[in-house]
Amino acid sequence: MFNSLKDIVRKSSIHVCLVNCGGCNGCDIEVVALLSPKYDLEQYGIYFHNNPREADVILVTGPVTDQWVDNLRRIYAKAPEPKIVVTLGACPQTGGVFGQEGGRVNAPVSDFIPVDAAVPGCPPRPDEILAAVLAVVPGAIAAKGRAQDKGED
Amino acid sequence: MILPIGPIHPYLKEPLRLKLQTEGEKVVKAEIDYGYVHRGIEKIMEGKNWQKGIYLSERICGICSYEHTQTFAEVIELISGVTAPMRAQYLRVITNELDRIQSHLLANSTFFKSMDHETLFMNTLALREYAMEALELLTGNRVNLGWNVVGGVRMDAEKKHFDAILRKLDKIEEGFYRHKALFEEAPVVGLRCKGVGIMTHEEAVKGHAVGPIGRASGIKHDCRQDHPTYRDEFEFKPIWRKEGDNYARTMNRLNEVPQSIYLIRQAIANIPDGPVRVPVEVGSGFGEWRNEAPRGEVTYMMETNGNLIKHISIRTPSIMNIDTCARYMLNGVATVSDALTTYASCDPCIACTERVSITDAATGRREIKDFYEVI
Repeated sequence: MFNSLKDIVRKSSIHVCLVNCGGCNGCDIEVVALLSPKYDLEQYGIYFHNNPREADVILVTGPVTDQWVDNLRRIYAKAPEPKIVVTLGACPQTGGVFGQEGGRVNAPVSDFIPVDAAVPGCPPRPDEILAAVLAVVPGAIAAKGRAQDKGED
Repeated sequence: MILPIGPIHPYLKEPLRLKLQTEGEKVVKAEIDYGYVHRGIEKIMEGKNWQKGIYLSERICGICSYEHTQTFAEVIELISGVTAPMRAQYLRVITNELDRIQSHLLANSTFFKSMDHETLFMNTLALREYAMEALELLTGNRVNLGWNVVGGVRMDAEKKHFDAILRKLDKIEEGFYRHKALFEEAPVVGLRCKGVGIMTHEEAVKGHAVGPIGRASGIKHDCRQDHPTYRDEFEFKPIWRKEGDNYARTMNRLNEVPQSIYLIRQAIANIPDGPVRVPVEVGSGFGEWRNEAPRGEVTYMMETNGNLIKHISIRTPSIMNIDTCARYMLNGVATVSDALTTYASCDPCIACTERVSITDAATGRREIKDFYEVI
């Protein structure tokens, strides 16, 4: 009961945590640009929180450097269910420009945590990030929440 | 007690761990844990040609991505004995200063956010979008511009582009002085940052502080003074202050925005006609080039063998600035929240910083060293 109520609320109030696991910062500043009045993230019911313990959505950027291998799993475990992972940029999918010989990266992110959606681009434009999060997150959270409800009943 | 902050924290967009040794709320010692963003860029670049190297250099850091490609192109031009055409140099100045405006406004908005001054945070970010639009208009991209090539820039701009950029600059200037007054004259803001996180001139010299952080502590040096284009073609004088506290660092960055606007206006008024790119036969040899990135001096040392990069070493400004922050600014800060604003005021850019990793051959253990340990 409580979970289904929470799902209704969560669909329109999305808490986001940004995890930079070793990227160049480009995707991160595009997420910061989303906070600006031009894009106005909060108008769409998205709150940029940056605390994994309260997050519904984990935005992952970067190609997973060595130090992040364990930490990424730990941060994922800290987020409460139901949770969605959206990766931003080319790095989390393939390693991007760093996924070459000599690079100390462990991409893709899907090797470590389950990924629900990916936004390609280097970096993706702010409106693309916003469109992707809004398109995928409410439905996915509701579906995961229903699955969780059935498990508990 | 030791209070760890990060690597994921509301005020830190980039992963880094601050370890604050505190007595009550007072910070007595600060330590910084690097190593979350080490990717091995210099190693990937070795043995590749410049076409493959320049886009890696762009992705060292997303915020000051432009200056890295310019320095990369200029060091290869130095080795090959070529100079970019004058029109390309002017276009580089325009892009560089637009990039500086957006970087300074972003850094300051992060500082205002860490102070919990939401109005200034939003207004500064709104102003920054004009600079981003101008950059997109000129180069086609917002963050990783892909604008420089060895021997010039990728494409030419027309008068209508320059006119549109000038209109954007007018808009930035219009809002800028209003918001600057909001920061400069409001008593609450002043109390929150004046006298917090002081770094004296001696400490700044000892810690090799560069860029606006060094200039806020009285180091009267800006690499643009020594750059041939700025030195010969432009009217330019570095801005500096004496106080060395959070207020001075933020004001120094704010004051550099009108200076950059003035430089762009000079460039657009005097831009010569001609080609924007010359063909370059890359020579063999060693070259070193310094440029002023938004955060300070960035140095590229490169050895080439024919068309291939034999060895490259990059020094970015943040490595010095973050270390001076931990060593001098954070010591004796009165509260933990002031420690966070002090950290934000030194404009940290972690993605730049981490390229030194040392492997112990006997045990295979790898560690990331900071600037002082390596020297």
